[in-house]
Amino acid sequence: MARAAVIQIPGVNCEYESARALERAGIEAVIVRFNEPASVLSEFDAYLLPGGFAFQDRIRAGAVAAKLPAVERIAAEAERGKPVLGICNGAQVLVEAGLVPGIRPGRVELALAPNRAPRRQGYLCRWVWVRAGEGPGRGTYAASLPSGAVAPLPIAHGEGRFETADPDVLRAIESEGLALFRYVAQDGSPARGYPDDPNGAMLQAAGITNRAGNVLAFMPHPERAAVLKHVQLDLPGPWGEARRSGAESYEALEGPGPGAFLFSSLAARLGVAAAPARSRVR
Amino acid sequence: MSAVLLVRLKIPDLTALTALDAGRALVPEGYELTRLVREELYLFEPSPGADPAGFEPSIAKQVETSNFFVNPNKEGYRFLRSGERGPVWDPPEGSWGILARSRGDTRDAGLVERLMREHPLRGLGSIRRGRVWWLKTRSRQGDDGARVGYAALGPVVDAGHGLLVNPHSEAALRLEGATAWSRIEAFLAEPAPAVEREPSRI
Repeated sequence: MARAAVIQIPGVNCEYESARALERAGIEAVIVRFNEPASVLSEFDAYLLPGGFAFQDRIRAGAVAAKLPAVERIAAEAERGKPVLGICNGAQVLVEAGLVPGIRPGRVELALAPNRAPRRQGYLCRWVWVRAGEGPGRGTYAASLPSGAVAPLPIAHGEGRFETADPDVLRAIESEGLALFRYVAQDGSPARGYPDDPNGAMLQAAGITNRAGNVLAFMPHPERAAVLKHVQLDLPGPWGEARRSGAESYEALEGPGPGAFLFSSLAARLGVAAAPARSRVR
Repeated sequence: MSAVLLVRLKIPDLTALTALDAGRALVPEGYELTRLVREELYLFEPSPGADPAGFEPSIAKQVETSNFFVNPNKEGYRFLRSGERGPVWDPPEGSWGILARSRGDTRDAGLVERLMREHPLRGLGSIRRGRVWWLKTRSRQGDDGARVGYAALGPVVDAGHGLLVNPHSEAALRLEGATAWSRIEAFLAEPAPAVEREPSRI
């Protein structure tokens, strides 16, 4: 059975639901504290840095956690091709550690800057729509999302705007398909400003991979949409319809939600048979 | 010429303590980081044609008597009027600094809007924001270690170099010795300089 380490850093708050989402996809998830001997991490097949506020976002979101020995070890395992998924604050850690986009390996080439939208400042919680493009990360993180499909997912961040000051990096991200996930309108057309583009990210990027496609920094929270019951009742579109029509059915509500594709894609990449396990994470 | 407000915590600043702890692991052998202080900087610019002397007393009063900029329970401040602050900014004794600003527009329109709603002022154009990190470093050789300290703790280059500034969202100015206020104002008001990078190997 494939095993994934979910890294518990002081201040993160999504480790348990992230572990449950992995286990529903058939991946054994183990929550590993940040100060365990880094060598422990080498035993795992994949890594998930969950959302939250590592070290209270002191200095900058992800800045302190990026210096941890555990993150250094995860970077070494990523070099060997193991998948590394950073969700929200985990994405900020990966960016601050220079794991994505890795145009010049090891260099910090991006920032997750404060959200930017007309007449709006600060933290933003809402559902958004994302679509996967074609890029090196598609096989690992979006294989089970039909081409062109739009997935509604929740976001919750104050610093979610992917940005680079290096035009060469921007060109490489765009031309190589590293902005694997982009914010779009509900109908799948390009996001043109707030609210479809919630934070003003370059290329409307919701998730950026490294060149090998095994490391993904993803700002939305797929673990908060892993099962149908997570979908808010008034969400428009087919997932909202499914949630409303399944309101009386326990089986339907416990079925896959719009964020499940990411974990099932990862499970397939790790060779897990498509037989979701009931979560053992409490 | 613009008035400047500098605000710092007078209770323990856990962000600065965390930065101190993380920073100590980054300074190279032979150097030591002994102190780190964080200050928020506000630069008050007059509206076109307005006389700073017209609104600075009002700002000073708001700073002193309201808790709009400063919470006196936990913060201390210095308010430097444009006509009184002198031509240069001297770092605290034995320290050097890193002034950081957003790479985007440093004007905080939301703050001005809220200020005008709560405390209407005439003549205020904009408020620019920055953050100052004051550091004390020293080397075994006895120098202040500012140049090496800036490379270790300033703009992030990779996981082992840089901490306090992400150059893709922020620009930084090293403050060593007396720095002309005109340079500070220009740094905050002009477009951020291009990010420093190695020759392209992409």
